[in-house]
Amino acid sequence: MFEINIALRHIKARRRQTTFSVIAVALSVAIIIVSMSMLTGFRENIIETTVENQAHITVSPKENEDYISLYHGLESFIREQEGVAAVSSYYKRGAAIQYRHNVEGAVLSGVRPVDEDHVLNVKKDMIAGEFESILGTGNRIILGSKLADKLEVGIDDTVTVSFPGSKPSDFKITGIIQTGTSADETLAYANLEQVQDFYGKSGIVTGIGIRVSDVYAVDPLADRIDRETGYDAESWMEQSSEILNLLNTQRQFVFIFYLMIFAISGFSIANILNMIVMEKVGEIGMLLAMGTSRKSILAIFLLEAGILGIIGVIIGAVLGYVSCILLISYTIPVPPEMYFGLDHLPIRIASENFLIAGAFSMVINILAGINPAHRASKMDPVEAIHSV
Amino acid sequence: MSEKNIIQITDLTKVYGDGVKIKALDNVNMTIGRGEFMAIVGPSGSGKSTLLNMIGILDTPTSGTITLDGVDITKASEKERSKMRNQKLGFIFQYHHLLPDFNAVENVMMPLLINGIKPTNARAKAHTMLKEVGLGERINHKPRQLSGGENQRVAIARALANSPEIVIGDELTGNLDSKTSEKIYELLRKLNREHNQTFILVTHDEQMAEKTERIIGLVDGKITEDKST
Repeated sequence: MFEINIALRHIKARRRQTTFSVIAVALSVAIIIVSMSMLTGFRENIIETTVENQAHITVSPKENEDYISLYHGLESFIREQEGVAAVSSYYKRGAAIQYRHNVEGAVLSGVRPVDEDHVLNVKKDMIAGEFESILGTGNRIILGSKLADKLEVGIDDTVTVSFPGSKPSDFKITGIIQTGTSADETLAYANLEQVQDFYGKSGIVTGIGIRVSDVYAVDPLADRIDRETGYDAESWMEQSSEILNLLNTQRQFVFIFYLMIFAISGFSIANILNMIVMEKVGEIGMLLAMGTSRKSILAIFLLEAGILGIIGVIIGAVLGYVSCILLISYTIPVPPEMYFGLDHLPIRIASENFLIAGAFSMVINILAGINPAHRASKMDPVEAIHSV
Repeated sequence: MSEKNIIQITDLTKVYGDGVKIKALDNVNMTIGRGEFMAIVGPSGSGKSTLLNMIGILDTPTSGTITLDGVDITKASEKERSKMRNQKLGFIFQYHHLLPDFNAVENVMMPLLINGIKPTNARAKAHTMLKEVGLGERINHKPRQLSGGENQRVAIARALANSPEIVIGDELTGNLDSKTSEKIYELLRKLNREHNQTFILVTHDEQMAEKTERIIGLVDGKITEDKST
């Protein structure tokens, strides 16, 4: 293993220049790790938000129908399916809500609060009052925070709810909800039975929300419900296909940037190796004369690329990790709704990102070493020896 | 080829150049005996270095054959050629070509390590070789800490490390003053007697050449003289 010895000496003898190459590799790896961690965090966050803020499967009325009648039977059928964690039927419809001179359009959802909470985890978004409060006697309503702001109302105020062709009814506000999404501008919750009464449609719902235990295994279940009941069951993946496609496209674009960043660090490795090979022509000639095989010469310089690369990758991984930790603790001073309800960078430190960045960087570094190493191994010993 | 002969050169020709052909070696025939201490002399451009490079398996002839210790090296594979360079040949060039990042003993160890010898054994052998060339006390010095003569001694120790059959010297005193050159020659002569290795030295220094046992004169790629001294 004299090859590794020679490689190490070449590197050690040029500590200053090699340090720069190592820094270049380390920075590229660190930048990419931070970027990947952010993307992973962002992606998971979006998916989580998407998954949290909508039913995993939404069952809608059959084609050309507006309602699901006999929903109790359908509900029990769904509950029996494997992988179903919770089911919530709702009656959702547009309505106008008035308070003094302010009138706002809203989407009024009649729900059973316990079921709805199991499916959408709504309780955690309550910023005032209790979600179950709508079960109390009399007309009670929970409003989205922005809707409440626009109406200039608060807890215990009474608003008038109406829709075309109906008699306006008064609802007492017993809670304010804030999901952190644009839904806050139109969100209104009331008890299912009261809403059905309000619209004069008792015994029917407009949809059923389902929560499943494995969000990524949702499509087969949706297909089964769709097939066996004839109702239109759509998974969150289908409903959010645009955002998922966007995330995938973004990943591909970012990959091109990674490639460019790695190429820069690869060039710095190629540069230092070219320098060493140029300086070492006589030495290479002598090594060949001493019987060193061309394979060994190739190995010496590839090892140099590998050693510089691996030092850079290790330093870069540590640097990337520390940067991620620092960035996680950094709070962005922006309103929460601006970044999908985030108030700090959504960084997720995942070991596979470190492995991918490290492995990818190593491949590029070794590739960068191939040309100079190949040149060294192809030297004519006579010319090389007499070039000094 | 008799057992006595280590090198047999037959009809060796080397032509350089794509357009204008230059015959560096023109139908050279010669044999070199085991343990010979000889010089190849001639003006520059006479082909003496080319001949030496052929014998050293650093270059390939256009036609003709060279047999080294019974093996036709013109037909050998790249791998066999490397192996033979390592085990059968020792090189000393005008410039010492020591690896600057390694000290004296590590430089002498290099051909042994290339030969696959264990580092501890290689170090012991290298140390012995350095003692033989009179540098037993300076084994941890790097080339830049040694004088020109000392570096050339390290290069000699390195050339002899694998106990090669043939030691090749190409103007090996060209960079040294006459007094140092003299000492180096004496050292080579001593080593030649002690180890019975074949020494082939290319030089344009007639005085030095006179100190060898046999002088081969080369002009325009042809042997013009072959005399024993």
